[in-house]
Amino acid sequence: MSNSSFYKPSTIALHTGYSPEPQHGSRAVPIYQTTSFAFDDVSDAQSLFNVERGGHIYSRISNPTVAVLEQRLAALEGGTGAICTASGMSALYSTFTTLCSAGDHIVSSAQIYGSTATLLRHTLPRFNINTDFVPINNPEALRAAIKPNTKLVFCESISNPGMEVSNLPEIAKIANEMGVPVVVDATFATPALCRPIEHGANIVVHSVTKWIGGHGAAIGGAIIDGGNFDWGNGRFPEMTEPFAPYHGMRFWEEFGPNCFVMKVRSEAMRDLGPAMAPQNAFLILQGVETLSLRMKKHVENTKALRDWLLEQEAVTWVNHPELDTNDSCEVAKTLFPDGAGSMLCFGVAGGRAGGAAFINSVGLASHLANVGDSRTLVLHPGSTTHSRLTKEALEASGISEDLIRVSVGLEDIKDITSDFAKGLKAAVRVSE
Amino acid sequence: MKLRVNNAEVFIATGGKTFNPELPTVVFLHGSGLDHRSWALQTRWFAYHGYSVLAPDLPGHSLSSGAACESIEQSAEWLEQLLDEAGVKSAHIVGHSQGFLTALEFSKNNPGRVLSLTAIGTAAAIPVNQALIDTAKDSSAKAAHMMVNWGFGPSAHNGRSAVPGMQPIAIGRAIMSRNPLAADLQACADYKTGNDAISALGNIPACCILADKDKMTPIKAGLKLAENMGVNPMIIKGYGHMLPIEAPRKTLNALRNFISSVQIQVAA
Repeated sequence: MSNSSFYKPSTIALHTGYSPEPQHGSRAVPIYQTTSFAFDDVSDAQSLFNVERGGHIYSRISNPTVAVLEQRLAALEGGTGAICTASGMSALYSTFTTLCSAGDHIVSSAQIYGSTATLLRHTLPRFNINTDFVPINNPEALRAAIKPNTKLVFCESISNPGMEVSNLPEIAKIANEMGVPVVVDATFATPALCRPIEHGANIVVHSVTKWIGGHGAAIGGAIIDGGNFDWGNGRFPEMTEPFAPYHGMRFWEEFGPNCFVMKVRSEAMRDLGPAMAPQNAFLILQGVETLSLRMKKHVENTKALRDWLLEQEAVTWVNHPELDTNDSCEVAKTLFPDGAGSMLCFGVAGGRAGGAAFINSVGLASHLANVGDSRTLVLHPGSTTHSRLTKEALEASGISEDLIRVSVGLEDIKDITSDFAKGLKAAVRVSE
Repeated sequence: MKLRVNNAEVFIATGGKTFNPELPTVVFLHGSGLDHRSWALQTRWFAYHGYSVLAPDLPGHSLSSGAACESIEQSAEWLEQLLDEAGVKSAHIVGHSQGFLTALEFSKNNPGRVLSLTAIGTAAAIPVNQALIDTAKDSSAKAAHMMVNWGFGPSAHNGRSAVPGMQPIAIGRAIMSRNPLAADLQACADYKTGNDAISALGNIPACCILADKDKMTPIKAGLKLAENMGVNPMIIKGYGHMLPIEAPRKTLNALRNFISSVQIQVAA
């Protein structure tokens, strides 16, 4: 059960948001591959533009296939509503720019995905939206960083690639007491493993490209409104003051618990246009339907691979949120009772050269810049994404030369360990 | 807009237009634990089609301050003062669930101020299980959990929404959890004179809009209400108690047909 539905998550994943449509009885969610939707008459068009009734106008703003995915994700996360976007990054950009104007401020966890860090560190400052980065699980540092113009606190439920689990109840308590919402990128967790709204988060963002879609077939993002933040606290004129493009509508008065997503729909989707394609929504819905089953297997394989790696001489260290060596291990046990995701990192013998040798020697695992596929994926930042950095610069980014990042897939675990054994053997050869 | 009644600030949604008491006015009264947002998809149509709209949050609910009314009779007196404050001499009164009980009591006391009376998802009496009231006294959130389970029909339980991407059950839960549900439910339970009020309505034009999947005020009680009011009920099939939220367009169509027809007679 979630805030939105009395069904269990695996049932929500299959049914929520759609019943067989009356015209043909299609059991699968139909793909509404259309740019726009015909009005009945002038009055009907006026009623849609006046927000006198709900409905679809143009697929940049909403689309029936995408809406099913939105309603399903909102229910899975326990939110009041959701918006799907073209990518996870556009979900983040839309969220940040809905809440922040020039002169506003963001507090972010220091341990976040590289592209998100670039958005916060380089792109948004061009628009005078500035970010301070803090160790997110340090309450004093978080409290000290929040200013009168801070509009949101941002973190990842499990950080990429640091594997730090954010202490969501503690972060939400501090931020909300100071009148600031908490935005959580829950991509690594998925609602099958952790629902941040239940732990006090106010907005959840996903790259649904990853585990939610689950098959590496389509790019997409999602924004879910927790409906649990008081936007009328005086800090958010964007929500409480008249919005000229919609006849002076005041979103907080008009929509209350779902005013944030309504604002995203009315402003970001309309003006910026980061719409999800209906075809992509359909592909991602296929992944959603089996999410709980897949995540169980992802977690099972991850634990098995993690334990196997810990026994290998060629492995110098392993990082996963459930290991005692991870600083957020205790938080992970509380927030992730069914397993803390299917990402892990490990160090390989031979340093940077050993890492490269490992990557070149595995065959089953795919070497690419994605995570959350059904197949096992590996990446050696030291020889790819971060190859131009010195050892010292790498370490400053929290990445060691020997780090291999693994997104554990759904293959038979014996085939995965057999493949990794080949990679480790190659790394050892380089190190000797 | 905001007005002061009984020394407390009242928030009143006006459908996106500035309130003009010179226009025919439609008053929308929400149900237990809810607020003006129940009527988001009805009020705007009326405001943009020749009417003025008043959809208040009852005292102590959402954006209105003050203490919650302790009885239906008290809320009817409060409504009288609210209309005085807004400069409204007469209005079409629409009530959902508990809101209809307030509308009914107000109409009994002020028949000359009522252009029409509409009942939506309701009955002449709304008995409330004492266990639910006790739960609400302990926690509005726990009572809201039960209310949204029974209150929403199969379509909302399946996660369907009239507004793309939204989850009506979660929205209803969020609103109810923060409002004084216990006082509302107790007021409903204590109100026993609905049928007496109906007999005092005289010739006020009336309308009854019911849902066949209503578990909060079962349709049997709604049909009895319609019979006592002397009207043919309009039954919206496949939806539950939260009609204005669950089936906003069908509810609006029924409302606009009725109120427009009454308004033509009033104007004549």
